[in-house]
Amino acid sequence: MVLRMLWRSFFEGRRRKILAAATVALAATLITTLFALSVDVGDKMAKEMTSYGSNIRVTPKADAMPLLIGGVDYNPLKGRDYLNERDLPKIKDIFWRNNIVGLVPRLALPATAEIDGTALRISVTGTYFDHLLPLPSDEGYRTGVRDINRFWQVEGTWPDDASESQALVGSRLAARLGVVAGGTLRLRTGDGADGPLRTVAIAGILTTGGEEDDGVTVPLAMAQAMAGLPGRIQSIDVSALTVPENDLARKARRGPEALSSEEYDKWYCTAYVGSIAHQIEEVLADTSARPIWQVAAGEGAVITRIQMLLLVVSAAAIAAAAMCVSALMNTTVLERAREIGLMKALGAAPWEIHLLFVGEAVIVGLIGGALGILAGYAVAQGVGWSVFQSGVDVRPITVPVVLAISVITVLAGSILPSRAIAALLPVEVLHGRR
Amino acid sequence: MTVSNQLTSDATSSRFGSTEQGRMVIDIRGLGKRFGAVAALQDVSFDVQRGEFIAIMGPSGSGKTTLLNILSLLDRPTEGDYHLDGIAVASLTEREQTVIRREKIGLVFQQFHLIPYLSALENVMLAQHYHSVADREEALEALEHVGLAQRRDHLPSQLSGGEQQRVCIARALINAPALILADEPTGNLDADNEGLVMGLLERLRDEGRTIVLVTHNPDLGERTDRIVRLQHGRLAS
Ligand SMILES: Nc1ncnc2c1ncn2[C@@H]1O[C@H](COP(=O)(O)OP(=O)(O)OP(=O)(O)O)[C@@H](O)[C@H]1O
Ligand SMILES: [Mg+2]
Repeated sequence: MVLRMLWRSFFEGRRRKILAAATVALAATLITTLFALSVDVGDKMAKEMTSYGSNIRVTPKADAMPLLIGGVDYNPLKGRDYLNERDLPKIKDIFWRNNIVGLVPRLALPATAEIDGTALRISVTGTYFDHLLPLPSDEGYRTGVRDINRFWQVEGTWPDDASESQALVGSRLAARLGVVAGGTLRLRTGDGADGPLRTVAIAGILTTGGEEDDGVTVPLAMAQAMAGLPGRIQSIDVSALTVPENDLARKARRGPEALSSEEYDKWYCTAYVGSIAHQIEEVLADTSARPIWQVAAGEGAVITRIQMLLLVVSAAAIAAAAMCVSALMNTTVLERAREIGLMKALGAAPWEIHLLFVGEAVIVGLIGGALGILAGYAVAQGVGWSVFQSGVDVRPITVPVVLAISVITVLAGSILPSRAIAALLPVEVLHGRR
Repeated sequence: MTVSNQLTSDATSSRFGSTEQGRMVIDIRGLGKRFGAVAALQDVSFDVQRGEFIAIMGPSGSGKTTLLNILSLLDRPTEGDYHLDGIAVASLTEREQTVIRREKIGLVFQQFHLIPYLSALENVMLAQHYHSVADREEALEALEHVGLAQRRDHLPSQLSGGEQQRVCIARALINAPALILADEPTGNLDADNEGLVMGLLERLRDEGRTIVLVTHNPDLGERTDRIVRLQHGRLAS
C-alpha cells in the first residue's frame, strides 16, 4: 500500500519534482566531476607535472656529498662512482612501484664534435628514449624521455634505443655546426684529439630549452660504448606520482629517524616524494635518492588548490540543492495539506506520512544523483580530453558515494518541510475553513 | 499496534468488560471550548447510546463543527469530560488519541477529502492500511455496500460529488468503527444525491451502527432518532 501510494503520488506535482531532481543532478554532476578530477586528476596532474621533469634523482652515494672549496668540487670520487644499469628494475619493485611512472638513466661524457674541420668540445649524454626495461615479474616496462620529458621537441625522428649510430643534436649546437636532421656528425671521445672516433647519423634536432640544446643526446648503450663503461650509468631521474606534502612529510625530511615508529609506518605507506625516495635508497645500495623539491612541492600545491576549489564549488552546489529541495517540498506540503490532514485524521502515524513525503524526496534525490553521475562522468571526460588528452577514470566507488550525498542532501532539505508536516493540524485543513 | 491493543483491551475488558457491555458510545459532561475570547462551546452535556442515529443541528457558527472535532478527537475541549466508548479520552496523549480515532471512529466530511491520485478502492484500502492491514476483498465489499463496486478503479476526479461522498462513507465504515461522525456530508450535494447518502446512513443505522450527523437540513434531522440542537455554543431546549 505504501509503495503504491509512493508510486502514485510520485506523479503528483511532476514539474516540481523534475526541478528538484535537476538541482540535485547539478550538484551530483559537480561532485562526480570533483571526484573524478581530484582522484584521477590527482594522478593525471602529477603525471602532467612530471612531464616537465622528474621528481627524484638517484646518484651514487659519494656524489651526494659535494666537497666544495671555493666553488670547486673537490670530491675525489666525483664522477667516478657509477650506478649499474641492471639495477634499474629494482626501482620498479618498491612498495610504491605503481607510482613510478618513469625511469630515465643518464651517462654523460665529454667529447669533441667534428665537422668540416671545425671541432667543438661538447657533452654527449646517453639516455633511454623509449626503452623496454625487462622486469622479472612481467612483460617489461617501457620508459624513456619521450614519455617522461614531454616537452622535449624533436625535429626529425627519435633515435632507436638499440642503435649505436643514431643521435639527437641539440638545436643550438646544430645551428653552430650548421647541421640538420638526416646529416652525419663525427664524435671523438674525450677532450683531446686522440680519442676513438665514431660517425653518427643525425636522427633529429632536439630542443629542450635546457643544456641538451648545446650537446648531443644518444642512446644509453652508445654512450656506454663511447665511454668504455658498459652497463654503467651516472644518475637516474625517477618520475613518481606523489601526494602533497604535509606536516608528517616535512618532519620526515629531517630524516626518517626523526619519526616515531608509528609515524614511520604511516609515512612509509604514503606516497610522499620523500618516502618513495627512501624506498629507492633501500633497494639500491650506496645510492642517494633525492627529491627534487621544487617540482614535487609545486605538484602537491597545485593539486591541493584545485581540490579546494572544486570542494568549495561542490559544497555550494550541495547547499543550493538542499535549499531548492526544501523550498519545493515546502510548496508540496502546503499544496497537499488536506491530504496530510486526512491521513492524520485516518489515524496515520506521523512517521507514515513522513515516509511518504521523504520517500518521494529520496527517490527524487536518487534520480537526480544518477543523472548527475552520468553528466559528471561526461564532464570529467570532457575535461580529461581537453586538458590531458585522455579520458578520466571514474571509480566505481563514486556511484554509491555520490548517490549517498544526493540522498543526504535531499534529506537535509526535507527537515523544514517535515516540521511543517508535523505541525499541521487536521482540524485546520479538513473543514475548509482555512 | 501494541499501543492500540493495550488501549482497546484495557478500555474494553478491564474496565468495562466487553465492547457490547458499554451502552453509551458518547458521554459528554459540561463540555466547553474557547478560542481565545470566543466561547465556541459552553457547558454541553449529552450522550449517545449504541445504535443511535442522532442529528446535531443549529445555525451557522453555533459550534457544530467544533463539537464534532472534539468528538472525533481532532481537537481537545478546554473544559468538561468526554467518554468515548467508555474511555476517558481527555487524559490521553496525541498518539493514543490517534490510535483510538482509527480504532473507533469513521469520519465523513463535507468536502469528501479523497486522495486524488488513488482509485476509489484504494482510498478505502488506505483507511484499512492505517487501521491494520489493507484487505482488497473487504474494501470491495464496502464499495459494494455503497453501490459503487463497478467504479472501484476510478479516480475521485472521475466520480460525481455524490459518488465521492459514498466512497467516503465506505471508507468511514470499513474498519467497523463504534461511531460514525459526519459533518454536513450532504452540504455539497444536490437533492438526489443527498437522498442517496441519507438513505445509506439510515441503512447503516438499521445495521446497528452509531451515527452522529451534523446537518442544516431539517428534513434530514427529522429522519434521525433524535436531534441535539446547538445555539451560540449551548444546548438549546
Ligand atoms: N480555530 C478557531 N479559532 C477561532 N474561532 C473559531 C475557531 N473555530 C471555530 N471558531 C469559532 O467558533 C464558533 C463556532 O464555529 P463552528 O465552525 O463550530 O460553527 P458551525 O456550527 O460548524 O458553523 P457552520 O454551520 O457554518 O459550519 C464560530 O464563532 C467560529 O468563528
Ligand atoms: Mg461547520
